[in-house]
Amino acid sequence: MSFTTDKKTMIRRIAEIIIFELKLQEITPEKFNPDLDLVDELGVDSMDLATVVLVLQDEYGISIDEDDYPKLRNVRMIAEYIEQKRAA
Amino acid sequence: MDVKTIPQREKKIRKWKFSELLADQEVRRRWEKVRKYFFLRESTYDMSNRCNIRCNGCYYYEGEKQFAEENGDPEAWRKLMREERARGITYVVLAGAEPSLVPELLKVCYGEMPLGCIATNGFKRIPEAVGYRIHISVWGNDETSLRVRRANNLLSKQIENYQGDPRAVFVYTFTRDNVDEVYEVMDIIAANDCKITFSVFSSPAGYTGTLRHNQDSLNRTRSAMLDILFRYPEQTLFSSYSAVAHTHQSGLHELYGCSYPRRNPSTNIGLGRSFRQYRTDLSWNREAACCVPDTDCDECRHYAAGSAVVTARLYRHVTDPNVFRSWLDYVDTYLAVWVMGYEKGENLCREIIEPPRHLS
Repeated sequence: MSFTTDKKTMIRRIAEIIIFELKLQEITPEKFNPDLDLVDELGVDSMDLATVVLVLQDEYGISIDEDDYPKLRNVRMIAEYIEQKRAA
Repeated sequence: MDVKTIPQREKKIRKWKFSELLADQEVRRRWEKVRKYFFLRESTYDMSNRCNIRCNGCYYYEGEKQFAEENGDPEAWRKLMREERARGITYVVLAGAEPSLVPELLKVCYGEMPLGCIATNGFKRIPEAVGYRIHISVWGNDETSLRVRRANNLLSKQIENYQGDPRAVFVYTFTRDNVDEVYEVMDIIAANDCKITFSVFSSPAGYTGTLRHNQDSLNRTRSAMLDILFRYPEQTLFSSYSAVAHTHQSGLHELYGCSYPRRNPSTNIGLGRSFRQYRTDLSWNREAACCVPDTDCDECRHYAAGSAVVTARLYRHVTDPNVFRSWLDYVDTYLAVWVMGYEKGENLCREIIEPPRHLS
């Protein structure tokens, strides 16, 4: 994925990663609501989130500090976080 | 060579990608094996305020929880278990003071929540209809048990009750005084083909007795753990990293940052959000909630605490192949100890790995 990937593509890719890593069924990246609260509404727990974060780090070549995990509440917030990290 | 002459690029520590760590097929298989259990979400429950023995340094008879009234109503427990399931709890730890004294309640819990564990002194056999893991506490040989726990022939009785029982794991708690006794106990455990794992005595708050560890006893405990693991690999559910994590000079909280509510104010995710510790009257208090309440947090090296706290720090352990292997061994061990039917694999790393600290 190029550095100039737009946010929409990034959101879709993050949704793909979450669906794949958490083995979610009956949901597609296209229909994944980027504002869905991963913890409250999707039931993601700390180990699920840690797994997703590790894959995101690989995918986008960034480092995500464990103290920042609470900022990763939904796919849109994750995309914004990654954008900020890559711009820094 | 003078350190100053080493080129910068050689001094750099390689930064591993997670996908690179998983490229090793043995590691990948173990990762896939353990991650199937990431759905486990625990809470703990005191079942009775009675016990049939009275041990020096007992966690239950400290603090306020010991004074809670006992709720022996099976329907109340059934309702609680259903409510727990509804809020996402998938694993129950039935403990204090002595759960074997309330077998009907254990059956009710098992009927509602199929995954769990019972912490017992093993004096009274728990009915086979209760299909949880059963942790039987061992604090030394029979002579020591009589002195510290005021219980006659305790190990013999425990083995008589649980020999050949696939639910049973004997939990040897190392105190300052019983390190060398583990060999005698282990010979008996192995001769009876029972399984063992290890815990480390973690003083209750305000404890002034003789069981509290010092640096020397922690060092001797680590050596004994590794020696037993080497000598009895079939009977011992443990790993080198488990030994390191639980006998380190620093306690679990200082090493990993305890994620139980008592030390973790965040309710965002994980244990801080979902964990509760119920008293016998079915009340709970977030301020006091941890797996072994009333333990001095600075001294906590308890096996139950580590199972959650070390596991939760996955992201600190993806820095290097051996560090990650050590973490996988730890998690594989904890699942074998706590989950019925989970078979421990061969440990992937025998090296002594220093626990990684917070990364930023």
